[in-house]
Amino acid sequence: MSARDKVAINKLPTGVLGLDEIVGGGLPEFSFNIIAGAPGSGKTTLAHQFVFANASPERPALYFTVLGESAIKMLRYQQQYTFFDPAKLPKSIRFINLSQIVLEKDLSAVLAQIIAEVEKASPAVVVVDSFRTMVRKPQGTHSEMEVQGFIQQLALFLASWQATTFLIGEYAEDELRDNPIFTVADGLFWLRQTAERNSVVRKLQIIKLRGQASVPGLHTFRITDSGLQAFSRTFGLSGHKKKEASKRRLSIGIPELDKMMGGGIPEGDSVLVTGASGTGKSVLATQFIAEGIRRGEPGIVAVFEERPQAYTDRAGSFGLDLEAPQKDGTLLILYLRPLDLSVDETMNEILDAVKKIGAKRLVIDSLAGFEMALSPGFREDFRESLYRMIFALTGIGVTILSTVEVDESFTEFPFSTYSISFLTDDIVRLRYVSIGGQLRKILIIIKMRGGDHSQDIREYEITAKGMVIATERLKDYQHLITGIPERLNRASEKEDIQQTPNAGDEA
Amino acid sequence: MLPLGTRDLTLRLLDEEAAADETSLTPESTALRVYEKLRVSLSALAGVAGFRSLASRALTLAKAKAQGLSTMQVAADGSLQAISEAKSESDKPQGVEGGVVLLNELLRLLHAFIGEALTLRLLQEVWPNTVFDDCDSGTGEKHERTR
Repeated sequence: MSARDKVAINKLPTGVLGLDEIVGGGLPEFSFNIIAGAPGSGKTTLAHQFVFANASPERPALYFTVLGESAIKMLRYQQQYTFFDPAKLPKSIRFINLSQIVLEKDLSAVLAQIIAEVEKASPAVVVVDSFRTMVRKPQGTHSEMEVQGFIQQLALFLASWQATTFLIGEYAEDELRDNPIFTVADGLFWLRQTAERNSVVRKLQIIKLRGQASVPGLHTFRITDSGLQAFSRTFGLSGHKKKEASKRRLSIGIPELDKMMGGGIPEGDSVLVTGASGTGKSVLATQFIAEGIRRGEPGIVAVFEERPQAYTDRAGSFGLDLEAPQKDGTLLILYLRPLDLSVDETMNEILDAVKKIGAKRLVIDSLAGFEMALSPGFREDFRESLYRMIFALTGIGVTILSTVEVDESFTEFPFSTYSISFLTDDIVRLRYVSIGGQLRKILIIIKMRGGDHSQDIREYEITAKGMVIATERLKDYQHLITGIPERLNRASEKEDIQQTPNAGDEA
Repeated sequence: MLPLGTRDLTLRLLDEEAAADETSLTPESTALRVYEKLRVSLSALAGVAGFRSLASRALTLAKAKAQGLSTMQVAADGSLQAISEAKSESDKPQGVEGGVVLLNELLRLLHAFIGEALTLRLLQEVWPNTVFDDCDSGTGEKHERTR
């Protein structure tokens, strides 16, 4: 069947920030949907957001309440959300209580009542809250066939009357196999919340959605004053075309490092700068971002371990002015350290910032701080989340430089404690070495996917002008990467001190 | 919505009902009609049990302020059973005042739970031709009927 022969399915806004992207552009019109989850997971709020986003006086929403939360209390609490517009009641949104009829009569009487109300109002949206209590008659006298018949007739009727429907229920996941409601439903939204140590993690899954492709997997969501906000696993970039690979090299602002990397970092790469505490990872990162701004490339720094002002002040001590670009809008320093942070929320913040200033460079300082800022439940997924984040950002042409601290060891030479080197295009390793009774620093380009790079092991210093790298490799030593090198020509050992890089040469 | 403002609102509803049906015999029957209209509307919203519990609370609060309500009770369907007894005492000012106090308490409860905006919207649905936008209930100023 050609595209023009197919029926066009209208997509309705869900009213939930981020959810339209997850469901594939909006909720299919006239679909019959279930919102399932444990009490307190946000089912009613999600339904309200959809109702307020779609109801109008011409095509109102009917909200049937049954035995669960009282409508008066529901209105009391739901009006606290910013999406709740009292002007929509009662002409656009009508609340109808079916408790009495459910308690006193059978399902056919309930169906007859719903049909009567729907035929009277011709609603665009129908919600039954809670559907679970409706079919679970207190006396438990509904037979399975009676319930199945009721569901079938309800679904058929509401679709025929061109209503998009939400049935809300407190279902457990093991009911998925047997409950007929899940077979009939076009869409199944499952909301979960789990406590992880001292924090709560909320996740949403579209288990099924007929008629269009939704983004699979579990998506983080948060409930704020604005209601639910969902964070897609694809970070809202699923429809974006991947940017063509660029051959341009970005200067790091450290001339010798640019040379070692074949002219700089390939644009759109993800670079990992790894080393022990105090080796100068943040200095290198700051020089990278400052050089970008100097060249007219807006940047973002996501910091987790120090506040933006402290970061700015520290850059100032290396002669790098980060105050002015923040004022003129070419630099944003994001301090991301709320409790229960998810990678998806962090990504949302970063992506908003990227869009806001058209950022070309991003520094994440550091991955260890990032991980610590996450809710414990999200830490398990850190690597996978990081992969998605880096893939999404580099896909839109942003060059990312992340720092990560590694424990200095004299028996190993790890690149990262996260085993994430496969996520990065380029790795720069900083390391302490013991030479001539001093703790000095060396730098190595471990890998560059984009091409050749220097194989040198170079010494560097952190000076008042930032990182300064020696122009020559340390060729008189072996076993440098162990941190305890041996001098090849012991006669010239006393020359060690003179071999350290001269800051004046680099400047 | 302050109590005085709710009372003005109550009086307005009574006024509206009296004007809508000039054949009404007594002020008490007007109060009963206002109550019945609220009962039907609020029962649809909150369920019969929901309305009954709200009305019972309102009646309890009202009884403390109006002796004439002492014989009244809320029936299973939310209706007021003893209102007819009050009717027979229509010559007593307490009977009229009782209806006002009860409706006043009911509206106060509604306001306490769902706020002024939604309360006025619900009333608007029941009395669609009445303008409530001028109800500055916080000031307690007199309202002019705008119908």
